[in-house]
Amino acid sequence: MFSDLILRNSRRSRKENGLFFSSLVVSIVAFYIILSISNQDVMIFLKKMESDAVNKLMLLIPVFYVMTLVILLFLIYFASNYQLQRRRHEFGVYLMMGMRRSKLFSMLLAEDFVSSVFALAIGLPVAVLLSEIISLTTAKMVGMGIIGHKFTLSLPAVLFTVIGFLTIKLLAFLILSGTISRQEIGTLLSDTPDSIKKQKPAFVYGIAGVCGIVMLVTAYAMAICGLAWQEDKLMLITMLLGMIGTILLFYGMRVLIAAVVKNSKGNKKLHVFNFRQIQENVIRQSTSIAISSLLILAALCFFGAGIGISGTSSLKRDHVLDYTFRDYSDIAPHEVLPKIQKVIKENGLENHFSQLLSMGIGQIRTTDEYEDVFTMDTVIDTIEQQPKSQTKEIILDNLSYTDRPYLIRLSDYNKLLELAGRQKVELRENEAAVYMDPQYTNGEQTALLNKILADHPQASLDGSTIYLTGEVQSTKLVTDRSITLSFALILPDEQFSYYTQDKYSVYINGVLNKETVGKIGLMNAISAMNVHLDALNLSELHLEYESFLQNMGRQLFFSVAASYITSYLAIIFLVVSNTILGVQFLMSQRRTGRRYRTLVRLGASYETLCRSARKQINWFMGLPVFVAAVGSLFGVKALYAGILSVEIRNMQGKMLVVSGATILLLLVVEYIYMTVVKRSSDKYLLTLIEPQREE
Amino acid sequence: MEPILNIENLSKAYGNIPNQTKALNGITFQVMAGEFLGIMGSSGSGKSTLLNCIATVIKPSGGSIVMEGEKLNSLSGKALADYRGKKVGYLFQNFELLDNLTGRENILLPTSLHSVPEKESQEQLCHLAEYLEITDVLDKFPAQMSGGQRQRVAAARAMILHPRIILADEPTGALDSKNAKNIMEKLSGLNRDEQATILMVTHDCNAASFCKRILFIQDGVIFHELRRGDLTQNDFYEHILKVMAQLGGGSSNVL
Repeated sequence: MFSDLILRNSRRSRKENGLFFSSLVVSIVAFYIILSISNQDVMIFLKKMESDAVNKLMLLIPVFYVMTLVILLFLIYFASNYQLQRRRHEFGVYLMMGMRRSKLFSMLLAEDFVSSVFALAIGLPVAVLLSEIISLTTAKMVGMGIIGHKFTLSLPAVLFTVIGFLTIKLLAFLILSGTISRQEIGTLLSDTPDSIKKQKPAFVYGIAGVCGIVMLVTAYAMAICGLAWQEDKLMLITMLLGMIGTILLFYGMRVLIAAVVKNSKGNKKLHVFNFRQIQENVIRQSTSIAISSLLILAALCFFGAGIGISGTSSLKRDHVLDYTFRDYSDIAPHEVLPKIQKVIKENGLENHFSQLLSMGIGQIRTTDEYEDVFTMDTVIDTIEQQPKSQTKEIILDNLSYTDRPYLIRLSDYNKLLELAGRQKVELRENEAAVYMDPQYTNGEQTALLNKILADHPQASLDGSTIYLTGEVQSTKLVTDRSITLSFALILPDEQFSYYTQDKYSVYINGVLNKETVGKIGLMNAISAMNVHLDALNLSELHLEYESFLQNMGRQLFFSVAASYITSYLAIIFLVVSNTILGVQFLMSQRRTGRRYRTLVRLGASYETLCRSARKQINWFMGLPVFVAAVGSLFGVKALYAGILSVEIRNMQGKMLVVSGATILLLLVVEYIYMTVVKRSSDKYLLTLIEPQREE
Repeated sequence: MEPILNIENLSKAYGNIPNQTKALNGITFQVMAGEFLGIMGSSGSGKSTLLNCIATVIKPSGGSIVMEGEKLNSLSGKALADYRGKKVGYLFQNFELLDNLTGRENILLPTSLHSVPEKESQEQLCHLAEYLEITDVLDKFPAQMSGGQRQRVAAARAMILHPRIILADEPTGALDSKNAKNIMEKLSGLNRDEQATILMVTHDCNAASFCKRILFIQDGVIFHELRRGDLTQNDFYEHILKVMAQLGGGSSNVL
């Protein structure tokens, strides 16, 4: 009998609050996926080459885990509170009938437990399945191939999901039931009086609203101009300003709504009623609406940053070369290429490479001087005349180390450009082109330099006059990190021979056969080749190699880790905030159900009521979402200003696209949530249409 | 005189066959224009069911209700909503004012529901507010009003669209005697001066003594009818008390 009651009650709770229940399921799924991240194919693969970074990420996972537990606790406490408040009368009746408080307590605990078990029973299988799908998709997307995929079930992840979930549920329950079971039967039985909070004079709210907006504007201004990122203290102030500003904004928003009520022209259906309802909700829960709005904003920023980091990764853009070989014996530069070709041919690997090209890079050997071997005063002077800016400072700083630049052989560089499908560099005898590694420059700086180089500025190389020409070159010279040049000069072959005195290093770049790559994927192709090469014992031949895999792995790791974590946090935040808003609306609708009943008596049809409630939902959920969306426009910009790489920061167009994409995504999510809330509101209103005997 | 409301053989049963309760069991009566009709009966006698049937909140199981020549069970959709809003004004025992709307907004709620231009109702609002002495609470919220003021605001809301008939369900039920007397005086004033037709359900003999005619209902049927005629209100009150005593079972049940 008792267990029947428990099962029935918990089923009723799940049904009545389906929104909350499904949010719990979603959070279980999210928990499992983030906890089982080390089982993902990509991560297993990356662990082989970037084990340090992967391990660091794994150390971070518990932090995210605990953080989301805290946020979920907030949600569970909040939603359960409403659920329990609504059943006060029922509890009063149980106690009246002589149920002991301890028994009531254990009954509620058991009900809660049954619901949790249900949520886990649905959530965990979905989570395992989804995590497999994600694993396969990412593996396919990064070109790893899915043949070797094994089904994995991470037991620790399951364990921690269950433990974490049950712990916060229990914690929330203990806090809540403590307050409920301490109350007197009389207070439980009587309906909670709908005490209307005392209102302060309107100008108080007006000032609060204005202060809120001012604080928000200040916070965003600080974040966008980069001031907030300079110091921890300033960051803290910015964050506090933003948060308090949002809370004040929603606190003061009632004045705005009141103004809408007062100034509404015409007599649209239930217009005044709708806005009074929205106003009441905003008054009652301004702080939690503000927090929801902040959570949505955080989710949007995470999405934005995630898309920004992974979407703008230079993986595809930069990939021209697959291998770079280097010889460190003392043979002459022109003998290096034949030597490597021979080694490859002898081992039957020549079919695997479609191209092998050499890249000659050397130092100036016509002088023993170290200072002022190369000067370009005209360039420096022109830059110094530019208006003060961060870009200018950075360029000047970078160019102050160019006294003795590396030299690059033009013909080699042009071969590389040809392979990359870019335009060749044409140089006359006394001309040189500027090379800067992409790591050391960005769009803005390159643009500034290009403008100056367009005038063919004069420079001096070991006493002779040369003219700098063309655009700044930034195509990577090797596949990964064999050599990285912050500033170098590309010289015609004769000049190159002269200045290097034919003593220079040669890097042999290899490109894998396109057919093989197309068949098994780039990653697999490189991995397989690495196995071959490692078996050759190259060090005995004084050879070493690096492959694009390291480069790729590093970038892949960053984009995978970033997109995993940001989307995880974003999903959790969106789920929590929307559930809070939805549950809040539905509960207050139930609390004020009598009003809808009165409207029915006054001649409102079911459709009128539904339309009215739908309008309220649009506004109630739309307000915080709107504030967050506006905030995200600045927020994403601020994030880009603060944490993203210099390179991405300059992609203004891309940034707009990212903001647009995140807002679009938000709209979809909000639409789904609003539809769910509207459905359950419609369902509830239908029960009000039937008259009830109240005596 | 034409009856404004014609009820014939009305019945309403709740529940399924073996456990069926007949709340109304064949009730027939008419309400004339300008009448102030009271319906009395003990708890569970079916008076609220009757009122709900007329308000079309519930559907009767048998019989017919004809309002100004129109059969209520033939109404549906917009016509039904219009009927509820425009032909009938409803006065509740618990006022049922929306506590988040000001007095004015509450009174104008029916106009907003039925899309009546606000200008048209403005005059009626001023007139009613003045008559019901609620002009100075129009911009207050219900929580800031006294019980009597709340019921008078509710009365103004019931009257705002010039309904053909006001259905009052125990309008004095939640009021103290002074406020109850006041609202009844106002209602009978409206009936007298503006020829408002009022159908009131009550079990308060004091309130009932303001009516011109009273129907007594017991176990779903009309049991007795009283007309005030030329009686003073006090005498009428005595009569009502007597009938109520009989309704309670009379002396026969005690012996």
